[in-house]
Amino acid sequence: MSLGFLTDWAHQLPILLDGLRTSLALTVVSLLVGLPLSLAFALAVLSRRTAVRLPALAVVEFGRGVPALVMLQLVYFGLPQVKLSLESFAAAAVGLGYVSGAYMSEIVRAGLRAVPAGQFEAARASGLNLIDEYRYVVLPQALRIALPPLLGFAIVLFQATSLAFAVAVPELLSKAYAVGSATFGYLEVLSLAGIVYAAVVVPSAIGVRALERRLSRLST
Amino acid sequence: MGTLPDSAVGSASSPGAESAPGRQHAVTLRSIVKRIGGTEILRGVDLDVEPGTVVSIIGPSGAGKSTLLRCVNLLETPTSGTIHVEGRLVFSGTAAMSRGALTALRRRVGMVFQSFNLFPHLTVLRNVSLAQMRVLGRTRSEADERSMDLLRRVGMEHKHASYPAQCSGGEQQRVAIARALSLDPSVMLFDEPTSALDAELGLEVLNVMRQLAADGMTMIVVTHALHFAGDVSDRIVVMDHGRIIESGDPQAVLTEPSQERTRRFLRAVLEG
Amino acid sequence: MSALDHLTVLLRGVPMTLAVTAGALALGAVLGLPVMLLATRSPWRPVRGAVRLVVDLVRGVPPIVWIFILYYGLAEHVVRLEPLTASILGLGLISSAHLAEVYRSGILSVDAGQWAAARALGLGEARLFVDVIAPQALRIAVPPAATFALNLLKDSAIASVLGVTDVAYQANHEAQTSFDTLTLYLLAGVLYIVLGLPMAVLSRRVDRRLSAGLAR
Repeated sequence: MSLGFLTDWAHQLPILLDGLRTSLALTVVSLLVGLPLSLAFALAVLSRRTAVRLPALAVVEFGRGVPALVMLQLVYFGLPQVKLSLESFAAAAVGLGYVSGAYMSEIVRAGLRAVPAGQFEAARASGLNLIDEYRYVVLPQALRIALPPLLGFAIVLFQATSLAFAVAVPELLSKAYAVGSATFGYLEVLSLAGIVYAAVVVPSAIGVRALERRLSRLST
Repeated sequence: MGTLPDSAVGSASSPGAESAPGRQHAVTLRSIVKRIGGTEILRGVDLDVEPGTVVSIIGPSGAGKSTLLRCVNLLETPTSGTIHVEGRLVFSGTAAMSRGALTALRRRVGMVFQSFNLFPHLTVLRNVSLAQMRVLGRTRSEADERSMDLLRRVGMEHKHASYPAQCSGGEQQRVAIARALSLDPSVMLFDEPTSALDAELGLEVLNVMRQLAADGMTMIVVTHALHFAGDVSDRIVVMDHGRIIESGDPQAVLTEPSQERTRRFLRAVLEG
Repeated sequence: MSALDHLTVLLRGVPMTLAVTAGALALGAVLGLPVMLLATRSPWRPVRGAVRLVVDLVRGVPPIVWIFILYYGLAEHVVRLEPLTASILGLGLISSAHLAEVYRSGILSVDAGQWAAARALGLGEARLFVDVIAPQALRIAVPPAATFALNLLKDSAIASVLGVTDVAYQANHEAQTSFDTLTLYLLAGVLYIVLGLPMAVLSRRVDRRLSAGLAR
């Protein structure tokens, strides 16, 4: 078996890294869209007003129940029907942002539930109004608890950017596929792409697990 | 059996009105009933607390002591009854309280919890300053200065930069007292302040409370620390099954209670 | 075309969606067991480490990349797979890695005292695993496994990129000739949610059945 593939890999890597940059950019933008959404969704779902809670639940369940691929296609191919035409990257960011917001809202909700009841009481007894209660006492604690699972989700989101292939975003998988179809050497370049993905995901996952251990030690 | 003086309360007063002329109590509770589901937790409780006095509430668990205490700052809403604080009607079972009135109430009444409930993500200093800044509108430097005074008062100024997790239980509770004092309340509520502490740490806290009482604070204390209650209180109130069954001079209640239930309770506490 | 007509077209994709999901789930459930056993109970440390590394690597590569490797990559010099086969193999591979983790935490969650009690009764390792540990581990593993199955249902949509005629494929195919694209994709999304409902209900029923055997 020749090791010629290593030379090929050396040539292909810069192209793939270019795609990686786009994948990472898409991850970050989707998180920037999704994070505020997740807070809004979480608080809306916890609201006691049915007029707020029920639509919020529907929006969250739709975002969590639809395959990410279908959501991307919905935004890119479907929205133009109502005069909302987005170009590839924007469409992918909107689609992944919405889906992220829905998933992360569950994580934030779990974080809110984990804040001890006594904290809410002490805040109220101190005369803080509802907004201040959440802003200064509850949310800082909830988000601290939610941080490791949120980071874990960010890693999953990064992997999901590979789906943006289907809406013509020039991310890592698209670049690999393009090289493959030009050279007819799919196995080589796709394997390299897989390695690049793993090289980002595996160390990140280890990092998040280490963070989780450190955080749980601090709180005891 | 001490009959509680019927304070002259105008029953049809609107929120904000003064009580009828006569002695003004710091806190007046009348016919407080609290029902949850089908159970009556408080079955018509009357209580008057004079300014500058310490009232201790004792009794078996489930008697409704904590629930009654939490009605005073409306962390619990009674099903019916009236509540006056410093002569102002704060609850009458009918009109819902405005946000402003609720905040005003919590400025007058401070609360210390059994599980301290300090804000873990803030330093000791910030814990005491937060409400001052957000509720009283003080600047950070004003609030911090006042907080240091309060921390000095409870003996915790050396730990102002620490986080709650770095303090012992007794230290945390003392910070909690400073936090409750930060809005300059005229009434302090203590919900089993030493129940989560061992004897030694509890003593630190009780000493702070003793000093507070000597300084003239009006205090309502739900406690199992009968020694403290006997020493520091001006009056002891005994509750059982949602009612006040006995009330009066601490030494009298503790040594020669007139109610059988009180006797049984005291005996159980001494054996346990 | 009305929404109902759209729905009929989409429904034609359901068998393939279910085929990919069920196939991958079955493959993963079966393969996951030896993977987990090797990763936890193999007496050689390098084997355990190597298996765990491979599991992490498998999970570190996105599903769509895996099926591309199996479909386009292998077609070159190794074997030309059908789109359906490639999809089931790819998703099954990933499932085995995930389910191995689920099995592992299930076993770890079984109270340590159970092992001690079983050994004290003289039960051999293999026997006690089958009769005492595994049933309890399975019960603990059902909820996360059900969540995983639900996610697998959604992941199955990537098979459409290879041309497998599942629900997502039907949606895209129709969208090319229809003006009603938004309705189409919305319906497809709702269809996936509806397909997932029985799984959620079933998992709760299975969970209840298994817990009934665990009298407290």
